[in-house]
Formats: sequence, C-alpha cells, structure tokens
Amino acid sequence: MRAVVLDGIVLGLAFGLLGVGMTLVYGLGGVINLAYGQIVVLAAIVISVVMEDGRATFVAAIVGVLAAAGVSVLLDLTLMRPVYHQHGEERTLLGLLLTLGAAFVIGGVLTWRYPDGALYIFVSGDPISIVGVPMSVGSIWASVIALAVAAVLLLFFGATTFGRGVRSVIQDETGARLVGINPSFVRTVIFALSGALAGVVAIAQSMSGPLTVNAGFELTTFALIVTVVGGLGSVAGAFLAGVLLGVVNSLSAHYIGQYITTIILLGAAALTILIRPRGLLGR
Amino acid sequence: MTEDRARSLPLRRMASAVLPILGAAAVLAALPSVWFGDSPYTTSLAVQALVFASYGVGFNLIFGSTNQLFLCVGALAGVGGYAAGILANETSQPMLVAIVVGTASAAIVGGLLSWIAVRRSLGIIFTGIVTLVFSLGFANLLLGQRDLTGSETGLIVEGVPSGLADDMVGGYYLFAGLLVAFLIVFRALQLSHIGWAFRALRDDEVAAELAGVDVARYRVYAATVGSAMIGLTGAVLAYSAGFISPATYSFDRVDVRVLVMVAFGGLGTLLGPLIGAGVFAILDEQLTASLELREVLYGVFVIAIFLFFRRGVVQAIVSLFDRFSGRGRARHDLQPSRE
Repeated sequence: MRAVVLDGIVLGLAFGLLGVGMTLVYGLGGVINLAYGQIVVLAAIVISVVMEDGRATFVAAIVGVLAAAGVSVLLDLTLMRPVYHQHGEERTLLGLLLTLGAAFVIGGVLTWRYPDGALYIFVSGDPISIVGVPMSVGSIWASVIALAVAAVLLLFFGATTFGRGVRSVIQDETGARLVGINPSFVRTVIFALSGALAGVVAIAQSMSGPLTVNAGFELTTFALIVTVVGGLGSVAGAFLAGVLLGVVNSLSAHYIGQYITTIILLGAAALTILIRPRGLLGR
Repeated sequence: MTEDRARSLPLRRMASAVLPILGAAAVLAALPSVWFGDSPYTTSLAVQALVFASYGVGFNLIFGSTNQLFLCVGALAGVGGYAAGILANETSQPMLVAIVVGTASAAIVGGLLSWIAVRRSLGIIFTGIVTLVFSLGFANLLLGQRDLTGSETGLIVEGVPSGLADDMVGGYYLFAGLLVAFLIVFRALQLSHIGWAFRALRDDEVAAELAGVDVARYRVYAATVGSAMIGLTGAVLAYSAGFISPATYSFDRVDVRVLVMVAFGGLGTLLGPLIGAGVFAILDEQLTASLELREVLYGVFVIAIFLFFRRGVVQAIVSLFDRFSGRGRARHDLQPSRE
C-alpha cells in the first residue's frame, strides 16, 4: 500500500511536470498546444542523437532542452501569429487545429527519420529506501527535477518583476498593455519556457523508462488531462492535479487494472469540465 | 410575367436543391466502370473513401451546421460497429436487427453527449475536450473488455450474408447508396425549418435564442441525427468488412481524417465531405509508399486549410472561378449553410 502510494506520488510529479508546460501556454494566450507531446519526443530524440555522437549526457540534455525551446519559439513566431489576431473561443479553436497540424508534421518527420528512436537515460546506483520502500535512483532523480521545476516556477511567478508581468497578461491583456507590458513578447518567452519544460519532461521521463518516438499523442493526452483538472493556467494546480491523478492511477492500476485506470483518469477530466470547468486551482 | 417568375422560383430552388445530389449519385454510379475496373485495390480505396464521406456528412451535420466540435466520430462509428457485431455474435440476431441496434446506440450516445454539452453550456472547446476524452475512454473500454470485443486482435462478425464480404463492387454500391441517402437527409434538413434554425444558431447563438430558436433542442437534434449516420456507417462497415478491431475506429485513423476532409471540402456544405473524401482517396493512392510522409502531409494540409482556406479549398476555387467568369455569387450547393 505504502509502495503503491509512493509510486503514485512519483508518477504524479511526472504528470505535473508534463502538464505545467501546457497549462502556462493556455493560461497566457488561450492556446491549447496539441503539439506539446511531439515537442517532448523531439527533445528526447535530439538528446539520444547527441548522446550517440559521444557527448556527455549533461551536454546532450542541454542541447535537447534548447532544441525544444527553439521549436516552440518557431511555432509561436509563425503559426501562432494569426491565432492571436482572433479572440475568445475562435482563438482557442484555431490554435487547437493549427497545433494539431503541427503535431502531425513533427511526429511524422520524427517517425520517418528515426523509426526506432528512443531515449533512455540510465542512472546507476542501488535503490534508495524511502519510508521503508526501495525506490530506483532514476525515479528519485525524476521527482527531484519535477520538484525543483515547481519551486523555480512558483518563485518566478511570485517574486520576479517579469513573472508578475506574465501574470498581469494572464489576468488582463488590455490592462497589461496599458501599463507598458508587451503581451506578444511575454507570449514568446512563455512559449520558449514551455518548450524548455518539454525538454525537461523528456529527460525526467526517460530516467524511469525508455521514451519512444511514438509516445507523443499519449503525452499530449496526459498533459491535457492534468491541465484540465488542475485549472487552465495554474502552475500549482498542475502539480496538485498531477499528484492526485498519479496516486489515483497507481492505486487503481494496482487494485483494478490498467485499462479501467485510463478510463478513470479520462473520467476525472470529463467530470472536472462538467462540475468545475475552471479546474482545481484555476481562476 | 411576374406571376410566372414567382411560380418558377420554388421550382428552380427545388432543382438547385436536388440537382447536386442527382449529379453526385450519377458520378458514383458511373465510377466503377470508368475508373477502377477490375482492380480490387482501387475498389477498396473507393469503398474507404465512401465510408469516410459518409462519416463526413454526419460530422458536417454536427460541427458544420450547429458548431459542436465532436472529436468522437471514430468512437461513435465504433459504438455502432461493436454494438452490431457483439449483438450478432452473442445472440445471433439477423443482420438488419444488429445494424438497427448499432445505429440506435450511436444515436443515443451522440445525443447524450450533445445534451450534456448543452446542459452544462460547454463552449466549443470544452465540447471538443469532453468528446475527445470519450473517444479515448471508449478505445480503452474496447481494449479492456477482451471477452466481448477480442481486444487488439479484433472481432470477427458472424452471420454476414454470403457474398457481401467477398463482393467488393457490391460493397461499393452499398456504401454509395448509403451516402446518397445521407446527402438527401442533409439537404432535406437544410431546406426545412430545422435548417433555418441551424443557420440562425450558427451565425449568432445569442441572437438565435432571442429570436425564439430553441438552440439546445436543435443542437441535440443535429447531434442525434449525425451520430445515427456515423453509427449506421460503422455498423454496415462491420458487416461488409466482416472484421473489426479498435484500429478500425481509432481516433487517429478516423477523426483526424474526417476533420481534414470536411474542412477541405468546406464546412457545412452539402458536397464538401464527398469532394474531400475523393481528393484524399487519390492522395492515398499516390502516397502508398510512406505512411509517415502521409502523416506529415496531413499536418501540412490541416495547417494550410485553417490558415488560408477557412471556408474550404473548394469554395476558394469556386469563388476564384466566379470572379473570372464574372458571376457574382458562388454556386448554391457549395455555399456553407450559414450564409
């Protein structure tokens, strides 16, 4: 039981890390980035290619994060420009459809060039015992990364001037413009941040198991579930929802079965939309 | 003189309402002899195009006419197909009963989804997410209920009348008939008072509500009828193929394609799904070599369509042609219903 819950928390932190990149972009511009999972996969493939080239894992990881951030910024500077000319629901719909197209392009190119591409970062070391449960070093590292990211993001949005600027754009785009903040620039920065987070997701995920080239759609789905349950645009909400869903996932997978578990997670997202559309911690 | 014109107007409207369907039916009837001849491969491509065109008409009725983003076309077709297949296998009901039950199940599920969306007044995006979640949940249900559905290995549908599964050209005519019937229903709805309500609520939901249009009711109508079309197609497909698996109705195989096709042909138009399905059948024939490149191309199509041809590629070509030939307005049968 204790092992199952702990597993769930580890998985949940990974979920939260996965959701936070998507929820930031949504909160800021109202765009649900359906290409998010494919950007994670892109980072993973870049890292694995650089590692095969004989570079150190650390160097490869940085290159991967930068590549994901770069692609993300590219998306923002090209496809997202016409999207931001729209408003409200039209904007979200157009963003949804265009990023779906981008997901197919990125995913298609990756499976075409690297049909067997996968990333697995092996972390050596004996399992470490936490509250009496042995945990692999890889998943401990993944959790530490997720917690560090959560802390940095919360600090960034709570305590820095630029972070407050970002929050002001989330709350009121016109008002932010009036006090001298350029929403377009803020959005580009957040897209870059979201891409970099996708790269971090790739690193964290591949520490506890291989991340394959066709995982993109599944990653996007889970990111979407976490985003919806946690509240669109809320960093703390994403991690809270992630941990909750992770524990539910582990308990249900252990006691009921895997297929039903996926249905339960999907049901949680549907129920959230129906009962509390703004999510756990959304405004 | 004026009386004459007044009398001929409804006649002309009748003609413009029926002619495109007749034309489509004639083309579909003539196609086997002029295009694919004896090749089973091209025949199967044509059958597939017809199946997708039929899905497209249903999706068009739901999304194109009443703005409900149903990202569960594959799942609804699966509800129809699996309900029919499981009923046939477990209770050995005749084909017709199984297909009727399959169609009704899909209609009920689709109507229920729409009712929930309407009651909770979900916007277009949340409707999309809820139906997407339903799609993925349904796929997992199929995988989990191994005893009934056979999981990934699929389900062999028993009690298929002899000849249906082997006769490809017969299957072609079966689906062509189905598609023409759907087009007639679509056109009849467009011309009736329901069509007026659809156009009103598509243009401006609040204004329609204020003008006395029961927006909620018409949305549920459209979703029920559209889902019945999709479910019927799925159920007939189960019989004509004789075998179904989760992949037959999966989100990435069905929904994305239907969305691209319908958007290509023009959302809300009568012949849009048919034209889109035809174009993509030809595209598939040319791109047999690489599945991944096809995926890339789909992505490029999605982006290009929604960036540059919001009203459909066909509509763009027609209005370009009209500008050159000096005709002021686009052809009626290709105009979106919202106009």
